[in-house]
Amino acid sequence: MAGSNEVNLNESKMVVPLNTWVLISNFKLAYNLLRRPDGTFNRHLAEFLDRKVPANANPVDGVFSFDVIIDRSTSLLSRIYRPAQDGEPQLNIVDLEKPMTAEVVPVIIFFHGGSFAHSSANSAIYDTLCRRLVGICKAVVVSVNYRRAPENRYPCAYDDGWGALEWVNSRSWLKSKDSKVHIYLAGDSSGGNIVHHVASRAVESDIEVLGNILLNPMFGGPERTESEKRLDGKYFVTIQDRDWYWKAFLPEGEDRDHPACNPFGPRGKILEGIKFPKSLVVVAGLDLVQDWQLAYVKGLEKAGQEVKLLYLDQATIGFYLLPNNHHFYTVMGEISNFVSSDC
Amino acid sequence: MKRELDPHLLSLPESSNAATASSSNIGKAKMCWEDDTQQQDGGMDELLAVLGYQVRSSDMAEVAQKLELLEDLMGNAQGDGLSHLASDTVHYNPSDLSTWLQSMLSEFNPPPPNQFDPMVPPAAAGAPPLPLDDSFLGQADSSTITSIDFDPQNSKRGVFEESSTSDYDLKAIPGGGGLTVPSDSTRPVVLIDSQENGIRLVHALMACAEAVQQNNLNIAEALVKQIGFLAVSQAGAMRKVATYFAEALARRIYRVYPQNPLDPSLSDILQMHFYETCPYLKFAHFTANQAILEAFEGKTRVHVIDFSMNQGMQWPALMQALALRPGGPPAFRLTGIGPPAPDNSDHLQEVGWKLAQLAETINVEFEYRGFVANSLADLDASMLELRPSEVESVAVNSVFELHKLLARPGAIEKVLSVVKQMKPEIVTVVEQEANHNGPVFVDRFMESLHYYSTMFDSLEGSASSNDKVMSEVYLGKQICNVVACEGVERVERHETTAQWRGRMGSAGFAPVHLGSNAFKQASMLLALFAGGDGYRVEENNGCLMLGWHTRPLIATSAWQLAATTSAALVH
Repeated sequence: MAGSNEVNLNESKMVVPLNTWVLISNFKLAYNLLRRPDGTFNRHLAEFLDRKVPANANPVDGVFSFDVIIDRSTSLLSRIYRPAQDGEPQLNIVDLEKPMTAEVVPVIIFFHGGSFAHSSANSAIYDTLCRRLVGICKAVVVSVNYRRAPENRYPCAYDDGWGALEWVNSRSWLKSKDSKVHIYLAGDSSGGNIVHHVASRAVESDIEVLGNILLNPMFGGPERTESEKRLDGKYFVTIQDRDWYWKAFLPEGEDRDHPACNPFGPRGKILEGIKFPKSLVVVAGLDLVQDWQLAYVKGLEKAGQEVKLLYLDQATIGFYLLPNNHHFYTVMGEISNFVSSDC
Repeated sequence: MKRELDPHLLSLPESSNAATASSSNIGKAKMCWEDDTQQQDGGMDELLAVLGYQVRSSDMAEVAQKLELLEDLMGNAQGDGLSHLASDTVHYNPSDLSTWLQSMLSEFNPPPPNQFDPMVPPAAAGAPPLPLDDSFLGQADSSTITSIDFDPQNSKRGVFEESSTSDYDLKAIPGGGGLTVPSDSTRPVVLIDSQENGIRLVHALMACAEAVQQNNLNIAEALVKQIGFLAVSQAGAMRKVATYFAEALARRIYRVYPQNPLDPSLSDILQMHFYETCPYLKFAHFTANQAILEAFEGKTRVHVIDFSMNQGMQWPALMQALALRPGGPPAFRLTGIGPPAPDNSDHLQEVGWKLAQLAETINVEFEYRGFVANSLADLDASMLELRPSEVESVAVNSVFELHKLLARPGAIEKVLSVVKQMKPEIVTVVEQEANHNGPVFVDRFMESLHYYSTMFDSLEGSASSNDKVMSEVYLGKQICNVVACEGVERVERHETTAQWRGRMGSAGFAPVHLGSNAFKQASMLLALFAGGDGYRVEENNGCLMLGWHTRPLIATSAWQLAATTSAALVH
């Protein structure tokens, strides 16, 4: 056992910079402490260990942020990131929600990752990522602090995502010059999964979503795919932990054919003939659930939906958390193009 | 199976990979992420620092090895080993990855007693980790104190489970020193309701503050009246906050300054209502007591010097916890310091009497002295009749008192030097997490407007309307002082934890970290507050902060004399 462990650790160390390896290994270690075999979660320790940052109405590197309670009844909070206007040193509270000046401003509703159980909108890793998105896409980013498993199972995260979408869509100050709010959905890991399901719900409403961005989205199914078997435990993630998170999120007694987990499985919704947003799906070549992610892309294609797959050969999970690898820049460039191509 | 942790196994690090690309300027980024360059601030890896982790670039390989080692040990341990780390181990300061990992490694491999391991913080060196002590948990006889019963071994594995009554459980654990890194100043803003409704009101408040700053008193006067009208049409917290701020502005404009100092018996009553309505004071007392209890571990005679005596509400719980200590309680001495009462009644003595009665019922040897002082700066260590530190261990406690000293030049420095003379084991400080002491009036005004708006909003959900009103009056007096007063009269000079860290460090104190057990119990305490969905505890560089949603509002920190740690050696 120890021997193969060493091999695994050495492999993952070869494909990422050392500080990335430290960062992701640290998460892996901490997360191992938090998941209990009986399916419960050590939430207090999780909150203690999570590195959080406050919002900051003072612009830093051209971005300022503030938090809004968008639904008091569920304490649903979102962190709003906006680009600071040139020459504007400091905004007052009255200016935080002032209308935008540019012709078209994309609004990206972002769902952080964490396998439905970890992290928050004010987690440092996601605050940093959202700030980058503002700069790269010249967008407003709304990061949703959705309710997490196992305390809040399906469909809470999706309901919160939907609530955020409705809220964003109804803000007059988020409108572009054409009096519409230009909405994109983005998310990594479980956030990517949420993107799909919120977009699915949106097609049945009159809210238009212009595009979906899924970074290493979290999908699964009952079978063990080839990639899961081949990559189990090799690059920070194990089949066992994936199983744990699905068990924590899905309704009790459900299996991984549940449409939340497997949207193109036997219980999934048919998307053919439906006006579903265009999708950008980023798959890391060393992510063990890639077979499910690729199946998702295939599912969209078969349903006649517009989808671009960005497959990154030697990328592991979490590559987008640090700007120290070329995958990071590739993806940021693609996201920027994806969002600006509607202007 | 045990493996010897050989410090020499961790060989000199290979050159670590560090990125040089900056975070947001993607177009200008250098693609040379393979370089190992010397980082600027203390050699910390910049990219990890942004994500909340303090790791020196030169330590990166060593940290990686610790991670590998831990992973190996955890993988080989049976289920027990892992759950022990999660449920029993107390974690400190997770930002300092190296030390955090090392402390977990020590759980698997306690170092031999006489070996000085340079990587283990001195406080823990040679000491095996404390096992969870069940004999510590139990029912106290006294029924006058409400506190929390916590038994981690038997508690149901649910989330936010708690029992409704009983005792404080303050488990003693060793403290540890560590690095602190000052954070940049930020303006955290949480908007509870969308601005659109209250926008004119906030505009008017801001414009009035600006007029006051520019001494356009006619304009200011007109605006203050307008604020009054606009406030009435608002609902909830915003209306009340706006009304208090408007009143404070009016006092400043008309120079009708509030009576200072406030009659202590009135302020005590207000504080008691504040104590009941919302968890801020309870959190302050709880977390400070936790640190004090740990510092007093193994001591037979202890002495708490309380700069914030008021009604002595902090001490029953500590006394109970001491009473329940395995091996029996220490002799407990309390020195309470407070301002004089206008009718010269000796209210400090009355408080002492009540505590003496409690001490008798729980069999704790008790000694008490009340000291009346107009200002903490009037104190000298010699007045307190301190005993030698080998005989009696001292804790100094200050809840919302230190910021008042910033009104007089030299006062805080004097008080901190007097504290040093007391040779305390620990100094516990609770302060508002805000900068209400900046030089520009409008900035102070807007900062405090955000702060108290958030505070008032957190009160909205509380049950008793009577308590709520008194709590609002209590906070309103602070608002009045921040906005209407200046010079030595302006005593509500709140500063942030980052600023206090600087002051304490300069005065010769080193941080003592509060850990995951205090965090957990504080979080559980909060769950008891009705309408308190939004309260959050956060750990920040060894301090614990209580906030409303994402906005920290008060912070507890603990300190020891810098000379007693080997901080210089370790770091």
